[in-house]
Amino acid sequence: MRCQKIEKWLSDRIDGELSKEKERLLEDHLEKCASCRSYAASIAKLQDEAMSIKDAEISPLFWEEFASELKANLKSFQQEKKVRRPFVLGWNWVWSGAALLVVVVGLYLLFFQSQPPQEMYVFSLESSLSRIYQEIGDDSELEELFNSVIMDSIGESLEDSGWRERPDFLENLLIWEDLSEGEMKFLESEIKKDVKT
Amino acid sequence: MKGSMEDCSDGRLVAQAKKGDADAFAELVRRCQEKIYFTILALTKNQQDASDLVQEAFMQAFKSLRSFRQRSSFYTWVYRIAVNLTLNFLKRRKREDVQEVLDESQSTGNGTVDSSLSPEGRSLKKELSERMQTAIYSLPLSYRASFTLVVFQGMTHSQAARILGCSENTVSWRMHKARKILQARLKPYLQGG
Repeated sequence: MRCQKIEKWLSDRIDGELSKEKERLLEDHLEKCASCRSYAASIAKLQDEAMSIKDAEISPLFWEEFASELKANLKSFQQEKKVRRPFVLGWNWVWSGAALLVVVVGLYLLFFQSQPPQEMYVFSLESSLSRIYQEIGDDSELEELFNSVIMDSIGESLEDSGWRERPDFLENLLIWEDLSEGEMKFLESEIKKDVKT
Repeated sequence: MKGSMEDCSDGRLVAQAKKGDADAFAELVRRCQEKIYFTILALTKNQQDASDLVQEAFMQAFKSLRSFRQRSSFYTWVYRIAVNLTLNFLKRRKREDVQEVLDESQSTGNGTVDSSLSPEGRSLKKELSERMQTAIYSLPLSYRASFTLVVFQGMTHSQAARILGCSENTVSWRMHKARKILQARLKPYLQGG
């Protein structure tokens, strides 16, 4: 364990990174430990040999070619940048665009979404019945069928709701004219419910 | 013009290069190209790869000059770009020859000096130098990078740490481990005077 620490210190010493305090402790240890002395000699030689490895000779021509290649690359990059420039948006433009979008959406919501929703379809009992009468015309069979359907429907759903008396559709096609204002409103609201569903 | 460039400080050249002055940038490159090239060459062991990577590193530096805040020197900054590019390149590369070099060094350099590997007239020192290069090349990448910067480029642990983007302590440990591995592999050559 101790020797492992010493080996690390030996490495640091070669790199000139060992403190004086550790250097002193290291020397004390080396005096007593043959194994560490051997390791110290070994890595010192390793360092010498590594330092003696010389960089390969590079001809000046290599650097000339290197420089001209770099210049050509720089030039082409700068030209490319010039061509691209009109289409490149800086961050300022991106933020401005985003802010403008927020304002436009805000205004849209303020003016269009704050108005109460308008009914797409306004039901009117009176106009609906007039239309039905037009459709029925002189077709007595259709008239009879219509009246019976309406009669049954009203009879089933409104029998217990305070209806004055059961109207006779067969005798009076314009039965709605005889209805009181309250009955008309009630009937209209019931039909509206059906229309919604 | 060229003479005036040579007299300029790095800081001034960086300022000019930031404005798009390619000549100023070329002068900055000229000042550090050799050191960076040899570091990359030591890491890749291939001249063409080293040349391409250094070229790429300088181009990347030029493109990102605006983001260079000059907290470190231009040399350290571009060195870091080059080393990072190279480490990424080597990680990506799965070349057969890398494995072959490893296999060869492990099978033939297993701690014994085989006389058949030392032809007559070939000095032990020359052989050690060759084996040393092979052994260094077969080190794990992070150890090799630290070893190259500290031993071959003479950097302090602190300088190497800045370039490698790690702590000084990490560099210190990597140097220790690298030496342990190399010492074990080259033991027969390192024994004796």
